[in-house]
Amino acid sequence: MMRARVNMPDLAFAAFLVAIGALALALAGELTVGSAAAMGPGYVPRGLALIIIVYGLVLGSRAAFAGWQVFPDIAWRPLLLLSVAIALFAILLPTVGLALTSFTVVVCAGFAAYDVRLHENAFLGAALAAFAAVLFVSVLGLPIAIWPW
Amino acid sequence: MDLFANLATGFAVALTPTNLGFCFLGALIGTLVGVLPGIAPITTIAILLPFTFSLPPASSLIMLAGIFYGAQYGGSTTAILVNVPGESSSIVTCLDGHQMAKQGRAGPALAIAAIASFVAGTIATVVIATASVPMSWLALKFNATEYFSLMVLGLTGAVVLAHGAPEKAVAMVLVGLLLGLVGIDVNTGAPRMTMDIADLGDGIGFVPIAIGLFGIAELAVTLGKPQDRSLLSFKLRNLWPSWAEIRQCIPAILRGTTIGSVLGVLPGGGAALSSFAAYGVEKKSARNPERFGRGAIEGVAAPEAANNAGAQTSFIPLLTLGIPGNAIMALMVGAMMIQGIQPGPQVMTTQPQLFWGVVASMWLGNLMLIVLNLPLIGLWVSLLRVPYRLMFPAIVLFCCIGTYSTGNTVFDVWVMLLFGMLGAFFYKVGAEPAPFMLGFVLGPLMEENFRRAMYLSRGDPIVFVERPISAVLLALALALLVILILPTIRAKREEVFRE
Repeated sequence: MMRARVNMPDLAFAAFLVAIGALALALAGELTVGSAAAMGPGYVPRGLALIIIVYGLVLGSRAAFAGWQVFPDIAWRPLLLLSVAIALFAILLPTVGLALTSFTVVVCAGFAAYDVRLHENAFLGAALAAFAAVLFVSVLGLPIAIWPW
Repeated sequence: MDLFANLATGFAVALTPTNLGFCFLGALIGTLVGVLPGIAPITTIAILLPFTFSLPPASSLIMLAGIFYGAQYGGSTTAILVNVPGESSSIVTCLDGHQMAKQGRAGPALAIAAIASFVAGTIATVVIATASVPMSWLALKFNATEYFSLMVLGLTGAVVLAHGAPEKAVAMVLVGLLLGLVGIDVNTGAPRMTMDIADLGDGIGFVPIAIGLFGIAELAVTLGKPQDRSLLSFKLRNLWPSWAEIRQCIPAILRGTTIGSVLGVLPGGGAALSSFAAYGVEKKSARNPERFGRGAIEGVAAPEAANNAGAQTSFIPLLTLGIPGNAIMALMVGAMMIQGIQPGPQVMTTQPQLFWGVVASMWLGNLMLIVLNLPLIGLWVSLLRVPYRLMFPAIVLFCCIGTYSTGNTVFDVWVMLLFGMLGAFFYKVGAEPAPFMLGFVLGPLMEENFRRAMYLSRGDPIVFVERPISAVLLALALALLVILILPTIRAKREEVFRE
């Protein structure tokens, strides 16, 4: 029963380290490395990426025998709805302006809470949209359009 | 010593109506986010960072500093009344503070927390003023070699003092350093690891990472847990502690202030660690330690003094060496850069008004907080009655707008989203984001100094141990690591963090 001894959170973290190290190594692949006395732009990034990969492998092999521990439960609803709300902000803001974007983001984010109330949430969205438009555009003068037209 | 002349310069700056206003605003916002669990001062500072761009440098730093120490005041209110820490630095205040509240002594608990914070804040301001000048002289002797070694020491300290598993903290520092290098190489102009994305030319934005890792991740985690906010009903009569209680607290406050002042300066230190340590010391040194956890007033006074002192003295390494000791100070580096100020020892000589103005404002801010806090406790309590489901959508929106306004590009919003999800992942696997943030800020600085030192020594790494200051710094870092590895100390460290 090999599987029974794996520490899942630690293993996941180790996998993350190896992945990010490998990604950096691939991206920094074309950069000049140079020598210790005259380092090129690739010297430190590659060095760090290699250290991270090795470190990740060490942590990973340790996690494989550290004793069984499950990965903790993920609360998908808040995670997912918060992501969608933020993505909506990034997509909508350039096209429909701050007021409608704010309303949409607040309403969508509101559903991340398990105790969301429909009317209250819509009212909150409208209030915050007005507040954001006044505070950020009128008072603080951010260069954002309020309306789509 | 011209300490008084310096402080006079500082007060002249801090007492202008504009700066007083921003000091007040910072302290007020700080108290607000301190009171509300689920919004950390680091998130608030990150969100407000872009808006300080148009302010004068001194006003901007005065306000942001006010948020940090203001949050230490606010956090204790929630800890005492709700038994939920408003901030991580007020976790230990829950232990005795909430017990006092249950025994009907919420008033004295709140008052002693405010008094302890004020006394500690006053002493810490003097500590900053006296310690900064010699520190910056020392720093002027530094060249690339010493700077590199100093940063190694700083990051080692951050790892040793981080909560949670130290081996994960090491990894987080390394990943932070690596991601800090993304962008155009200053020496050669070569774009590095940018995937040909133009927005990454200046590197990954610092504000989107901070808001994502701390703000968004915190929301996702908090929303996933059941909410518990049973407020104790309490009346504002008999607010003041008795003289006997105050006398009892004076030594505790002074001990807490000392511990906080020292731990605040250490890399990786700051408010949270200071309050834990101060509580531990009080409990160990008390004549009858069994009173602790059952409403001992020193158990409130000492950690509250320590977290405020630690919050303030953590500005010392930033203001004198240009090296941030914790994640909030890393954000302050960002705030200074936005203003075109390179943090470092030269700030004190080239911008004395800025430096001493910020120091003087800390004392004024503390004064405002004690005046502000006690009469307004009723207001803060009513804020706590606002359900979280009404607050967090606003936070999401402000995080988005704040991130967007750093560069007026939605690219940063996507980066924030990515790091928000990463932050939630880090939380699940038990890796602290603070060491990552420090590594990220120090990455480019460290590489720059490393390359320069190695260039000057013609590629011989022996230079780092040949120069005496550098050798001492590296020896200290090594000593810290050895301490960490020793099993007995490791066991004790875990015990301390569990408490």
